[in-house]
Amino acid sequence: MRHDRLVLILLWRELVAGLRAMRRRDLAWIAFGGGGLAAYAVADVVVALHAGAARLRHDQLLWTLGLPLALAVLGTAAGNAVAGLCLQRAFAPFLKALPLAPRRRRRMAGEATFALAVPLGALIAISVGFACAVIGKPWAPVWGLSAAILFALGFGTAARWRLRRPRLLLEGAGSERAPIGRPWIRRLDQARPSWLSSWAWKLPGGHMRPSWKLAAACLLPAVAAILGAWASLAGRTAGPAAMAGLAGGILVFMLSLRCQPLGSPVLRTAPIGFTRVWLRLVRLPLQLSLAFFLLPAGAALAAEPSAWAVPVAGGFWLLVLNGIYAVFGAYFLNAPFVAMLSFAGALAYAGYETFEYGRTVLIGLAALVFFLWHRTRQRYRNG
Amino acid sequence: MDEVLAVSELSAGYRGRAVVQGIDLSLRRGDILGLLGANGSGKSTLIRAITGQIPLIGGSVAIDGIDLAAAPERAKAGFGLAIEPHELPTPLSGRQYIELVASIRGCAPNDLPSGDLLERLDLGRWIERPIAEYSLGTRAKAAIVAALLGRPPLLIFDETLNGLDPVAAWEVKRIIAALCASGRHSVIVSTHVVEAVPTLCNRAVLMADGSLDRSWDAAQLAEAGGAPGAFEESVMQALRVRAAA
Repeated sequence: MRHDRLVLILLWRELVAGLRAMRRRDLAWIAFGGGGLAAYAVADVVVALHAGAARLRHDQLLWTLGLPLALAVLGTAAGNAVAGLCLQRAFAPFLKALPLAPRRRRRMAGEATFALAVPLGALIAISVGFACAVIGKPWAPVWGLSAAILFALGFGTAARWRLRRPRLLLEGAGSERAPIGRPWIRRLDQARPSWLSSWAWKLPGGHMRPSWKLAAACLLPAVAAILGAWASLAGRTAGPAAMAGLAGGILVFMLSLRCQPLGSPVLRTAPIGFTRVWLRLVRLPLQLSLAFFLLPAGAALAAEPSAWAVPVAGGFWLLVLNGIYAVFGAYFLNAPFVAMLSFAGALAYAGYETFEYGRTVLIGLAALVFFLWHRTRQRYRNG
Repeated sequence: MDEVLAVSELSAGYRGRAVVQGIDLSLRRGDILGLLGANGSGKSTLIRAITGQIPLIGGSVAIDGIDLAAAPERAKAGFGLAIEPHELPTPLSGRQYIELVASIRGCAPNDLPSGDLLERLDLGRWIERPIAEYSLGTRAKAAIVAALLGRPPLLIFDETLNGLDPVAAWEVKRIIAALCASGRHSVIVSTHVVEAVPTLCNRAVLMADGSLDRSWDAAQLAEAGGAPGAFEESVMQALRVRAAA
């Protein structure tokens, strides 16, 4: 095994091992079911593009700002994720004993990141070029190429930033000794089974450490809540604050829900059922989400007292969406980012199809949620 | 009820492929069963099937008279499994882990066979630190203490004793012997330390190719343990015969 391609080889072997670990029935479901669904989605998108071709061709805001911004954001997110993935392999614990300098490891991760960026960029170029050709936009290949360049700029910037800071990987490795003493979270985390949230949130000894990530995660929803409340109070309308409460509430829930203890033999061999553990894991994130919702909901009520139904409906939909995400989070228990993407994708797709076929599509979403919940429960019970 | 574990015609494995098959095993209170076998012989798969971590392809498991498939939560209350050290919740401290298990089992965190167990295992000075900072042996000690919480009738140690220092291993063996001598408990010890089996266990089984290949009762173990190396010799002979077949 040559060192310079070690990261790529590791990623490839993980993929192959993951596929081999799956049952043939599940693989067939993914290949045929997922393939069929993807083909249907592409056909649907082509039809939608055809229908809106004239408007899309001349939408200046879309071509000068919307698309470039979306591609840059997509590239940045992808670059950060791919570089992180490659760095984790280059600095994997089982490679620690090998005589590889940190600079060499960073280079291996960088080469693998670049190798993975090429097909992603090609995919972007083909997708955008194809979409331009469908709506009859002149110079479709040039638009595709430009889109790939913009994506590559975002990807390269984020990947370069991440690759220069491999020490970020060591944050969770317990290199810093945890403080001793009674953590303040004890009071919140005492319900049966106790300490489950501290475990799920990976708080060393139940102690929360201040970090930039935590500050950003608190600051963003707080700013959204304050802006929403201000807009409602200034305009004397409940809408903006209720929306900010709903969006911020679900964001807080998604960021705080972690379900990886569901996969642990500590719980699976203990006399406690899946539903009880799942509800316990959901409990604190739900409390945080509802606590966040109260500020903008209060502002909405103060801005337009006669429209009390708006924040009440917001609270109801927040509970429903939190419940749906809790199922996605439990199903993708080791990959919260994948859970968030799948949840957002399922909601967006259900919403889009609802416009086309009516509310009966929501039955399909409910069936999907029930199926995921059932599979997660089966996995907890039987492995 | 005298029978703590009843395994009948058990087949279990992964992705629908049986790794262990045709297992019949019965454990009564007071039994200390040594589970022996080469790597890949199916010891850990058998323990995973008994503790409900993998689905049964065939057969049944009953713990303290409760069928594992029919009432998994009630059945799981009947055993304490020492979790493999790498599967412990590393962010929690040892004390928090013990409190977590105690809260699930519905007992007090100090409901242990011996009041000074933490000191006997030299775990006291580590108990407030996150498990991530523990060595392999210290993790094994935390797993053993958690398995003993609430004093369940069946205790299962899957190669957990192998990583302990001599003093802790001796203390754990004393605790196991005392629990089983009380006539209320039964223990399964999966181990590669063959020479330890005659002194600790009163029964032993040898697994090979996913099935029970040979078994020793208390009298046979006592006889084999009488001469130094006699039990090891008989295990090696059984393994050689199996390999030649």
